[in-house]
Amino acid sequence: MNANMLLLPVIIPLLAGILILLVRRLRGIISLLATGSILIIAIALFKQQLTYSLPWLGFGIDFNLRLYPFSAFILLSITALSFLVMLYSCSFMQGKNYLNQFYAYFLITIGLASGAVLADNLVLMLFFWEGLLITLFGFIAIGGKDAFKTATKMFIIVGVSDLCMMIGIGIVWYLTGTMTISTLNVPLNTLGCTAFVLMMIGAIAKGGSMPFHTWIPDAAIDAPLPFMAILPGCLEKLLGIYLLVRITMDMFKLTPGSLLSSLLMIIGAVTIVLAVMMALIQKDYKKLLSYHAISQVGYMILGIGTCLPAGIIGGLFHMINNALYKNCLFLTAGSVEKQTGTTNLNKLGGLWSKMPVTAVCFLITAASISGVPPFNGFFSKEMIYGAALERGTIFYIAALLGSFLTAASFLKLGHAVYFGKRNQENENTRESSLPMLIPMIVIAAVCVFFGLYNRFAVSYFLEPVLAGQEFTEHTSTLLIALTVIVLIVAILHHIIGAIVNGSGVKAADHIHHAPVLSGIYDRAEKRFFDPYEIGLKIVSIASNILFFLDRAVDWIYDGFTVKLAYGLSGAIKRLNTGNYSLYIIWSLLGGLIILILMFKGFGS
Amino acid sequence: MDNQLILLLIVLVPTVGSFVLPVLNCVSVKARNLFALLFVLTSFVLTLAILPVVFSGQTITANFYSLTLHADGLAIFMALVSSSLSAIIVFYSFGYISHYENQNEYYLMVVLFFGAMMGLVFAGNLIFLYLFWEITAITSWRLIGFFREKQHVLRADKAFLVTMFGSVMMLLGFVSIYYQNGTYDLAALKGSQIPNIAVILILAGILSKSATLPLHTWLPDAGVAPSPVTALLHAALLVKIGVYVFARLFIATGFVIDPSWHTIIPIIAATSALVSAGAAMLETDLKRIIAYSTVSQIGFIFLGLSIGNEIGVVGAMLYILMHGMAKGGLFLCAGIVEQNTKTKNIMQLGGLIKTMPVTAVSFLLCSFSVMGIPPFGGFFSKYMVMTAATQKGQVWISFVFLAGAIMTIVYLLRVFNLVFMGQSKTQPVKEGSPVMIISVALLAALSLAGGILIYYPSHFLQITLLQLPGIIR
Repeated sequence: MNANMLLLPVIIPLLAGILILLVRRLRGIISLLATGSILIIAIALFKQQLTYSLPWLGFGIDFNLRLYPFSAFILLSITALSFLVMLYSCSFMQGKNYLNQFYAYFLITIGLASGAVLADNLVLMLFFWEGLLITLFGFIAIGGKDAFKTATKMFIIVGVSDLCMMIGIGIVWYLTGTMTISTLNVPLNTLGCTAFVLMMIGAIAKGGSMPFHTWIPDAAIDAPLPFMAILPGCLEKLLGIYLLVRITMDMFKLTPGSLLSSLLMIIGAVTIVLAVMMALIQKDYKKLLSYHAISQVGYMILGIGTCLPAGIIGGLFHMINNALYKNCLFLTAGSVEKQTGTTNLNKLGGLWSKMPVTAVCFLITAASISGVPPFNGFFSKEMIYGAALERGTIFYIAALLGSFLTAASFLKLGHAVYFGKRNQENENTRESSLPMLIPMIVIAAVCVFFGLYNRFAVSYFLEPVLAGQEFTEHTSTLLIALTVIVLIVAILHHIIGAIVNGSGVKAADHIHHAPVLSGIYDRAEKRFFDPYEIGLKIVSIASNILFFLDRAVDWIYDGFTVKLAYGLSGAIKRLNTGNYSLYIIWSLLGGLIILILMFKGFGS
Repeated sequence: MDNQLILLLIVLVPTVGSFVLPVLNCVSVKARNLFALLFVLTSFVLTLAILPVVFSGQTITANFYSLTLHADGLAIFMALVSSSLSAIIVFYSFGYISHYENQNEYYLMVVLFFGAMMGLVFAGNLIFLYLFWEITAITSWRLIGFFREKQHVLRADKAFLVTMFGSVMMLLGFVSIYYQNGTYDLAALKGSQIPNIAVILILAGILSKSATLPLHTWLPDAGVAPSPVTALLHAALLVKIGVYVFARLFIATGFVIDPSWHTIIPIIAATSALVSAGAAMLETDLKRIIAYSTVSQIGFIFLGLSIGNEIGVVGAMLYILMHGMAKGGLFLCAGIVEQNTKTKNIMQLGGLIKTMPVTAVSFLLCSFSVMGIPPFGGFFSKYMVMTAATQKGQVWISFVFLAGAIMTIVYLLRVFNLVFMGQSKTQPVKEGSPVMIISVALLAALSLAGGILIYYPSHFLQITLLQLPGIIR
């Protein structure tokens, strides 16, 4: 296989995107052709090992691309899901504004993401990685009138994390003298740990983990839905987790039990619980899903943070599972939005009989994300549970609690949208068009397939990633039993909640209004805890201090110097009285001083 | 043609030609404008003509009586950057300045300024360096006070006095170098040891010209100048004089200085970058914000140069190129906004993207480049100077610059949102004239091209590294 083929998944979508911006027509066909062709290329390249190299910046920063089992797998996932979402968008986006821009950003995003995955040089990776900022910004900004505020928020949060990564890469270069990823082995001294944390920030921020998550729920409201499905829903997870695995496994070689590994696990556990707590109280289809997009990345980070082979495989398996079902869930949300015109849970209900295909796809993927056997989410979660339990019971409990709340919130969501009483306005709702249904059906089918044949999925796609490391599953009957019990409790909780509180939407309201929690929830809704808002406040205070300094410096020129000059010249002016005898005395005195100095000079 | 003659012509054509412009005005306004552009383009083309010689690793030295001109890779790079940007700015002026009086003076001063810049870039000895340096000071003094309002003239005086203070200090530094070495010739001074006092004196000149803390506040004040002038002065040429001379003296000539300077200057640069970023965050005058942003970005250039390793120097030179294009674009966009809405206060602006789409998009793209977002050129230069600091093991200083880079993102997005997004607060406005929007779109496109075709400038600079004895390896 020709190594130049490696360029194609990067170049084709980029060129197609630019082409759409230039010619402004045929966007649907160009987009489908471009994504379809790179999907075929990705399939053809799968299980290949290729490298490509071109001179670039110099200083050891070359245009290196490398295809090996891991990047090939991620590339395949990206291209396949992009193709499906593109197909969906062709129907979903009809009649919306800024269509040329939408397709162009979509395609360029795919190109950059492929580049980031294939890059074998840290700077090249950062180039593609950070380049995503611009398409993301455009993607969100075309969403609506005030969407640019969310776009700005995203830009700042992700931009800061990317800059952190930039420094991290700089430190890695300093420590090892190379930037070729495949040859890196960074020592974990103080500086190495700093570099790891900086690069980790870049990775988990891309993944959407806490505390870099707050733009995602905002974007769920503002941005076009396919954006949510493809970016926070899957591409960003794939990229973020890909990098996280690369740095923990290859570049830094974290050991289980090390401080950094615990740090990762804590971030993961906290993200799982807090995000799902927020998801539970949402009253909007898309926003609820967006909090799950955050919560699920917690599982992956937790799994990878264990640094045990089983945990890493579990995290990766969860990553691909999540990409599938979260993508599909967002697509069902879009389907409902397109057909009913709303995603507000209070206005929806009883769509089961009107939109059966969407409902079935929703049920399968919701069961998947809740970890119901035998769907794919169950198996990846079990692997993570096992690894987490080995590292500490507290992590396991957090993960289990997350599962309970996930199940509870999806029961609530499903009940509110597809069952319960139908809203008057939705009497004439019909099922979505075929181009929208096909992607959902395909993804749901893959979810079932990966569940039923989970051994095959793990051994065919994921085990090559470990490159020969042995891995043993830590799962046991006890763990499975506990999972099942938690699921049953969640269902009972929902049934009782729905009966007591009156409807499916309100089934979890007693948690929302619980004594201590309600206060915290209120503040969270008002963005008290939003790191972005806090960060902006800090920046504002710092700017005030700095600006004061600047004004102080300016005063030296505009105030001090002027006063000094006036003062001095005023003093000299006063000496000039017009009295000639005084002038003569000064001249003589001056002459005397010069004479003395001269003689002293000669004397020495 | 003889290479040495070409070198002389690069400097003389705009310098002498500028005085012909007012005469040409008697023929026709169009002729004057065209010749102004032509003189700048002549320098550009002639520089391109000697590029292959320098690209092959040689340097050109030309002596005309006492005037020594010297062309090495650094000078060629700087000359190409300056002349191409100046050409675009002069082109933009056709649209902008046609609304105002005293156009003869304007074109005379701009082209003379450009000629002096070329002279300074190629100057082979310290006295001529100083001479051209002062010509730029005098011309910029006239250009800042171009509108002749009382406050503008005062601001022009301030700019002149502060930079003059610096340059006289620098002259003293040159004198002390002469006292020690007996020559002003840069070629003869290669690798000589410089006492700390001379370093301080020269730094005063460099910092004042490149508007770095604590000698920077004249730059935002000078934002009262016509927009193409601010682009020329604040973004593309004038503020780059200081950093260029720093590179010329301490890196290309390889003055040996106390190693502690390699820590002190980054600290000055870092403070400058942070303080001005804070000011840019709070200002409400569009041009002052961009001017403060320039002060902040100059800090990054100084970082790369003062760290002085290979990647730092290449990064800083790329930074000069990328920042010149992007920041020039920002100033020119600001000029369109200012001219059409009659205000520079960003609080009174809003929603302009609807009526000025090209300006808005160009502004955004140029901002991306200044922020250092790939695939724009600014990414590479920012990455390289930041890495230069970590490469020397000075990780903490790169963290300070990280804060500066974050603030850059925040204040530029703030400006963009306030000016171009949201609700419109002014009378309906038109897009700028074709000449003006072509210029800004061109600069935005160049910023993008600079990133995508980064191989070429980077490759060229790496060849010139061999000519720079002052690099710390």
